[in-house]
Order: sequence, then C-alpha cells, then structure tokens
Amino acid sequence: MNANEYQGSFLGRISIRRNQVVVMDAIHEQELEDIELFQKHVSDRFSELSSPSDDDAILSISWLRKLLDVFLCCEAEFEAILLMDRDPYQLSKPPFDRLIPELLDRAVKALDICNAVTNGVESVRHCQKLAEIAISALDQKPIGDGEVKRAKRALITLMAAINLDDKDGTNAKSTERSWSFGRRSGNKDRVAGQFRSLSWQVAKNWSAAKQIQSTIYNLVAPRGAEASGLPSPIYTMNVIMIFVMWALVAAIPCQERTGLPTHFPVPKQLNWAHSLIGLQEKIADEWKKKEKKGMAGLLDEMQRMEKSAQSLIDFTDSFQFPGDAEKLQEAAGHVAELTEICRIMEQGLTPLQMHIREVFHRIVRSRTEFLDVLEKGSLPVI
Amino acid sequence: MDGCQSTIPTYEGDLHVVAAAHHIVKALGATKNLSDDLRKILIDLDAHLSMMTLNTDTKGGRGFVDVEERLKQAERKILSWEPDPRMIWDSGPREASEYLEAVDEIQTLLDGLRGLSVHENRKQKELLHRAMSVLQTAMSRLEEELIRILVQHGQQFDPKHMSSRSIQRDVVYDESFVSVEDEPAEETSSRNCSSDEIGEYIVDLVHAGVIPDIKSIAKVMFTSNYGPEFCEAFIGVRREALDQYFAILETEKLCIEDVLKLEWTSMSSKMNKWTWSMKIIVRVYLASEKRLCDQVLGDFGSVSSFCFLEISKATTLCLLNFGEAVAMGPRQPEKLLRLLDMYETLADLLRDIDTLFSEEAGSFVRLQFHELLKRLGDSSTAAFEAFRVAISSNGSLYPFPGGGVHPLNKYVMNYIGMFPEYCNTLNLLLKDQHADVADQDFEPEKGLDLSLSTSCPMACHLRSITSSLESNLHRKSQLYKNEALQHIFLMNNIHYLVQKVKGSELRLFFGDEWIRKHNGKFQQHAKNYERATWSSVISFLKDDNPGSSSFSKSTFKERCKGFSIAFEEVYKTQTSWCIPDPQLREDLRISTSLQVVLAYRTFLGRNSAHIEDKCVKHTVEHVEKLLLDLFKGPPRLSRNSRRW
Repeated sequence: MNANEYQGSFLGRISIRRNQVVVMDAIHEQELEDIELFQKHVSDRFSELSSPSDDDAILSISWLRKLLDVFLCCEAEFEAILLMDRDPYQLSKPPFDRLIPELLDRAVKALDICNAVTNGVESVRHCQKLAEIAISALDQKPIGDGEVKRAKRALITLMAAINLDDKDGTNAKSTERSWSFGRRSGNKDRVAGQFRSLSWQVAKNWSAAKQIQSTIYNLVAPRGAEASGLPSPIYTMNVIMIFVMWALVAAIPCQERTGLPTHFPVPKQLNWAHSLIGLQEKIADEWKKKEKKGMAGLLDEMQRMEKSAQSLIDFTDSFQFPGDAEKLQEAAGHVAELTEICRIMEQGLTPLQMHIREVFHRIVRSRTEFLDVLEKGSLPVI
Repeated sequence: MDGCQSTIPTYEGDLHVVAAAHHIVKALGATKNLSDDLRKILIDLDAHLSMMTLNTDTKGGRGFVDVEERLKQAERKILSWEPDPRMIWDSGPREASEYLEAVDEIQTLLDGLRGLSVHENRKQKELLHRAMSVLQTAMSRLEEELIRILVQHGQQFDPKHMSSRSIQRDVVYDESFVSVEDEPAEETSSRNCSSDEIGEYIVDLVHAGVIPDIKSIAKVMFTSNYGPEFCEAFIGVRREALDQYFAILETEKLCIEDVLKLEWTSMSSKMNKWTWSMKIIVRVYLASEKRLCDQVLGDFGSVSSFCFLEISKATTLCLLNFGEAVAMGPRQPEKLLRLLDMYETLADLLRDIDTLFSEEAGSFVRLQFHELLKRLGDSSTAAFEAFRVAISSNGSLYPFPGGGVHPLNKYVMNYIGMFPEYCNTLNLLLKDQHADVADQDFEPEKGLDLSLSTSCPMACHLRSITSSLESNLHRKSQLYKNEALQHIFLMNNIHYLVQKVKGSELRLFFGDEWIRKHNGKFQQHAKNYERATWSSVISFLKDDNPGSSSFSKSTFKERCKGFSIAFEEVYKTQTSWCIPDPQLREDLRISTSLQVVLAYRTFLGRNSAHIEDKCVKHTVEHVEKLLLDLFKGPPRLSRNSRRW
C-alpha cells in the first residue's frame, strides 16, 4: 500500500468539487458522501492489516510500516475532509471548538510517543548487534568452547537487554556505578551495553503508558446528530491515532510501559471499526501474556529473537566439546533463524525509524494547518 | 614481539629451504622500522612456515610439541590474570604489553594451525580448540579493560570555559509583548551571542595518554574478529558519557508536551540555553567525539563513522526535538528574536553537521537538521507576522497619561532596533513575504538595487511595521479629549520614532527620505499644538480693530482678565503634560514663549496707559517664567493615575 495512492485520487476528486458552483445542500450531501467514503477506506485499510500474509505477521517490522502507511493515508484524507474549502468560522463553533483542540492535544502526545519509539528502535538495533555476535561465533566449524563462550556472553547480554525493566532505563545511575565491574563483583556475565538504555529518555519521569492513558481519557464517540456529521471523522481519526500509537508502544521498547492500557472503548456497532477492534483485542491478549516479562515488547522479530536466543543459551549451557551432532544441528537451525531475523532488522529498522519520523513530521504539519484555520476562524472581524 | 624469536627446529634435510626462508622472514621481522601491514604479513608468513615444518612432521606428532609449548606459555599468561582482582592496564605498561604479546602469540598460532592443510589431525584440532578458548577468555578480559580505561580516563570539559562571554551576555530583550502596558523598558539590550565565539575547539574527551592503549586493544580485538564486541563496549561507554554531559550543560530533556506548556520567561531562557548547548555539543563535543572515534578506529574503515553515529544519534535527536517543539508552539511576537537566534545557530552549524554525519548512514540525522532549520525559518516568519499583528491590534481603553512616549512605541522601537543584527537572516526569510502595508514613505528609484539597505526586504518590512505603529498611535491619540494633547502625544511619539531610527543602524534601512518626512510630521504636530492651545489665548491680546493703537480701558481690563484665566487654565493642565525629550521640550517652550510673550509684551506696551496692578495679574517676566513649568510631566507620585 502506498501513502500517495489514496491521497492522489482523493485530492483529485476534491479539486473537481472545488471548481463546482454548488449550493449549501449539495455541499452538505457531498460532505456526507466524503465522510462515508473516508470511513469505508478506514475499514478497508484495517481489514487488510488484520489479515496479514506470512511475510508480515502482526506487529512485525513490515506490518508496523504498513500500519504507519495506513495512518498517513487516513490522516491525509481526514485533513482534506475537514480543511478543504472549509469556512474557518465553522470550526471555531461548538462542538468543534472543543473537538479540534482535543484532537490537537492528542496529536502533541502522539509526537512524544513517536520520539520515545524512535529511541526504542535504537535498543532493538542494539539487540540485533548482540545477536550478530552470537551468530558469528556459532557459525564457525567446528564449534569449540571458545566460540560457545563468546556466543553465550553475547546472548546473555541480549537476554538481559530484552528483560530489562522499562524503569531501569530511566534510573539515572552514576557512571561509576553502572560501569562497576562484573568480574570484580563476581558477576561474570555482566557485559557491555547493558546500560545503554539511559539515552532513551524522552524526559525525566515521562511514561509511555501514562501518555497513552491520557490520550484515551475523554474519548467519547459522537452521539445523536453529531454521529453523522463532521464530528464522526474527527472521532475516527482520534481512534486511529490512539490505536497506532498504542500499537507502536506495545511493539517497540520505550520509556516506562508499566500499566499500558489494554483496552480503549470503541463502539462495536461502528462499521469502520470492526477490524480495528479485532486487532486491538489480539494485541491486547499478547500484551497481557508478556507484560510481566520485561521490556522487549511485542515486535514479532524481537519475540522470535528471544525464543531463538533462549534456545541457543540452553545449547551453550549444555555444550561439551566436541558437541552432540544432533544438538549441533538443532543449534544450527536456531542460528539460521537468528540470521534471518537479523537480516530483516538490518533491512527494516532504519526505514521503520524514518517512517516513524515521517509520521512525526506529518502530525506537526497537520497540527499547524488546523491551528491556522482555527486562528482564522477566531479572528475578530475588523 | 611475537613468534619471530621462536625457533622451529628442522630435522629433515628436505626442509632446508623452508628453514632458510624462515630465517629470512625472522631477520626481516626483527627490523625496527616496518609498517604495520608489512609486519603483519611477515608474522603470518612466519606462522605459516612454522606450520609447514609441522605439516611434514606430523607422523610422530613431535612438531606440535613446540606449538603446544608456545600455546601453553601464552595461555598461562592469560589465565594467570583471571583470578587477579587488579586490572591489567592499572598494573603497569609492562603487564599490559606482555598480555598483548600473549594474545598476539595465540593469534599467530591460530593462524598457523588454521593454515594447515591436514584437517583430520587430532592434535591440530585439539590445539585449535584450546587456542580459541584462550582467545575468548582474553577477548572478554580486553573488553572489560577497555570499558575500565574509557570510564576512568573519560574527561568532561567545563562548558563555561568555552564561552563565558555568552553566559554573561544572557541579558536579553525578554519582555513579553503582553506586558507592554505595564512597565516600559527603556534600555536596549544586545543579543546574547555572536555566532562564532565558540570557534572550533577540539578537546580530549578521553585522556590523550590512554589513546595508544585503547588503540592497541582495538587492534588486537579487530584482528581476532572481535570488532563487534569492541564497538558495542565503546559505543556504550561513550554514549553514556554524552548523556552525562547533558547534565553538565544543565540541559534538561523535555517532552514536547511540556515545552508547549512553558511560560514565556522560562521558555525564553530554555531557548537561549538551547542555542548555547547546541553550539557546544556540535562544535566542541561532537567534533571531539568524532576525532576520538577516528583516532581509535580510523584504521578499520567505516567502523569509526558507524560508532560515531551510534554514540551521537539519540542525543542529537533529543536536541532537535526541543527545536521542533519550539517551532510548533504558539506564535508569540516576543519569540521572534529567540527564534532567529535558534535559526541562525542552526544555519551556522549545518556545515559542521554535514561534515560530522557525511556518510550515508548519517543522512537521517542530517535530514532532520535541515528539516528543523526550515521549520524554524517558517516559525520565525510567523512570529514576525504575529509581531506586526500585535502592533496594529494593540488597543488601549484609556489615553496614556501626560501624552508622553507610549510603552508600545518603546517596546517596538527597542525591539526592531535589534533587527539590523539579524539583517541577512531576516532578508532571507522575508524575501517572499509581502509587506502588506503600502509603503508610502519610500519611492524606489529607477534601476532599483535590492542590495541597497533601504530597499532590502527587511527595510520594507521595517517601514511597514512603523507605519502600523503610527496608525496605532493615531488611534491612541484619539482617546484624548483635548486636541492639543493629541498633538503633544503624536509629536512625542513620532519624535521618539525618528530619534530611535536616527540613533541606530536602523537609519540605514529607513533612509534619509523617511527621516526627513517624519521630522516634518512631528514638527507639524508641534505647530498644530501651538495653534490648538495658544491661538485662543493670544486672541485676547489681539486688536479686533487694527486701526486703533490701544483698547479702551474697560476692554483692556476685560482682555487682561480673559487672558489671565485662559493662561492659567493652560498652565494648570499643561504643566502635567509631558515631553520627555529635553531638547524637544526646550524647543517647544521657546517657540511658545516667542509667540505668547511677544504678543503679551506688545499688548501691555500698547496699553501702558491703562496698566494698574489690579487688572494686570501677570507681568511679562512672570508669564515667561510660568511657561518654563509646562510639560514637566505628571507628578511622580501620581504617575500611574489616569486622569486624562
């Protein structure tokens, strides 16, 4: 799916519309049609996301990138509906004088989440580097004690990074302390890099979980007459934004995720929301299973990496030179799996990070455009 | 230093050639001034030749005896440190170099053993296995030693030494636009820092004395294919050091949500702080970090730039995010100068950034910088517009007491007085912005040269700003019921405007024509004042009937009385009016005096026959003296009372 695909056709249609001289009723009708179309697109896009192919399992790197694309498409369409040919004055009247500022507040919170997650991608990359060390050690033939020790050391650091509590990342320990020597204190497996997460910080005491909670707070589906008018796409966009940010936080390690909500209410009778609710439930179930197990997050590649790494640690624990042929074979399988994961990460992490940044910039731009319109709408007539 | 000194005995006659080659290699290896590459080749060759000897002697396995002996020695050296609580590099240079020699020896033996063609030899496999195991032990140890050295010899420089000037000059024009009515600020302040005072400092982030140690560890780890471990350890420590440096700079990490909630004063100081930190981080810290990476890892290709990127990325993005947050904040006019500072700083640093992150992998960071620069530019333009809007929409409910210089005027003129320092930037940012107030004061000549200071975009916008200001002041003047005071107010304010322009670099942008025109304007208001105030007063002294030389006694009395009452009325009101500029006050008094006193003297002179003490309340001298009391301004204590 391409972000521009939808946007292009949609904007094209809009500009045709702009050239028409239409009476108010026609505009209103057109608007309802636009809203309906928007919600149909939302529905289509999310249903595509909820039936992923083998190559992109839910919460895999490529799936997340698709999710970000969906966000960008929906956002472009939403902005067109709300802002194109719009009388600024209309948006400064109730209920929009409340709905739009609320949306923009959520947008600001989303920006901080984007930043937290961008930092989080760095710690995924760190895991990738550690896995690569293990791979290069275990790819040797024959495998000896030296290789096994080397791999084990890397894998244990990897597991420590995966199981590091979100909070540890934010505890500002003094340098001396955090780099005090494992060897001297008897912990032979303390390895470099474990304390890297410090520079993750978005801000002191910032919490991704709380941020998500506060975006959910106050979110109410429009009722009555509002349900069919402009308030409805605003609500839709709110839900999409919250969902995307929530999924990113669940997937990618970031500052303080304890207490991440596993549910936010979206009325089931809304047609466009079916797939989204389904996805939400799936991810929430996964989260509940994993929540107490540290910070790795639900990123598909990380989960697979964790499994392979654990198996390989077991292998290294029981290894005795020259090694049992069957076990060696099994280990080779895990190494191959790990190699594949690292390949995917190598190819996918930087683009993912840039994609998140693109979403960041889009939100900033869109917020500015909304503010411009609001400002125009609220200016006293001189 | 390594296997070169060892002797591999040759028993068989057919190995003489190998032995001879071996000796030559050793002799060459003993030469002192060899390049590292060449030495490495010789070592490899030496190991290989040793193994050729072994290879032909595998029957009895006796050839491995020496290899095993060498391995044992190196192994002993390496393992002996394992239970030792001391760090090797803390124990002295001899210990360190002996340790490295032992690792080198293992590496040589490993290369040799791997180079053997017979792979099924049990002894060979066993030795290989053992060597790898020892190598792993050594590598783990070296990693720890590396971390220890980096942490212990890491140095943080004090940013205050870098630019104490910029800290002292932190007094800036921070007044908020909304506070304009409350407390007029008279003093102009200078901008906080010039762009290149920090210069290009490179400091030693890690003590220079230990760089060779780190390099030697890097060399042996990379040679043994433990490069990734070295990098992870190195990146980990250095990244944390950079994070700590944030604390030294007292730069707090803030999320966007919090930045948007900041009050203007703390926002302003954080913006200043950012400008300052950004320069130090990029010009000094990152430049030094880059050098450190190159010093340590320069021999290993792209590894150096990879490590640099990993170390600096997160922190750099964090700095950028503050900029993004500021750029998306509300468009307050008072933000303009701080935004311009940020814009100029960033524009100035782009060259450094492009060099630091020149590789493909760094393009992400580079791109974000360029993106932010654009955003800050847009935001500055928006703040400029907000400034203009704020000027034209600034309203007052009450007339300003005394008719003096309005705080809005002071604020605006002091503020724009700093624009010339940002001239190039403003010209760049404003060149596509239409100055929407008709530029009446400026008629461009034919063959207009845009580089001329009076016709550059900033000049047009400056004139448009003052013209908005003038219209606003005209509106404010309408609040006075007294027409004469309206003129005093306008005279004072336009005079102030002209003085501010004449007395600063602004005059280059406004041009002589503008100054001439505005001089005319305030002089006209002075004349209008005189007419509005004094013509009615003087009319008492004028003869309605030009034919006669004097009034009748009763008329004279009446005129005298009328004059006195009118004069006293003027005196009563206008002593509390205000002309803050002493020269202007003096000029107006003189010209008033000339008219009034002259008319009064003539009047009294012509009617000297009627003069009695009773009816002439004021002597000429008295009137002259009283005129000096005019325009002293509202009494100090009641300065804030708004009676007019």
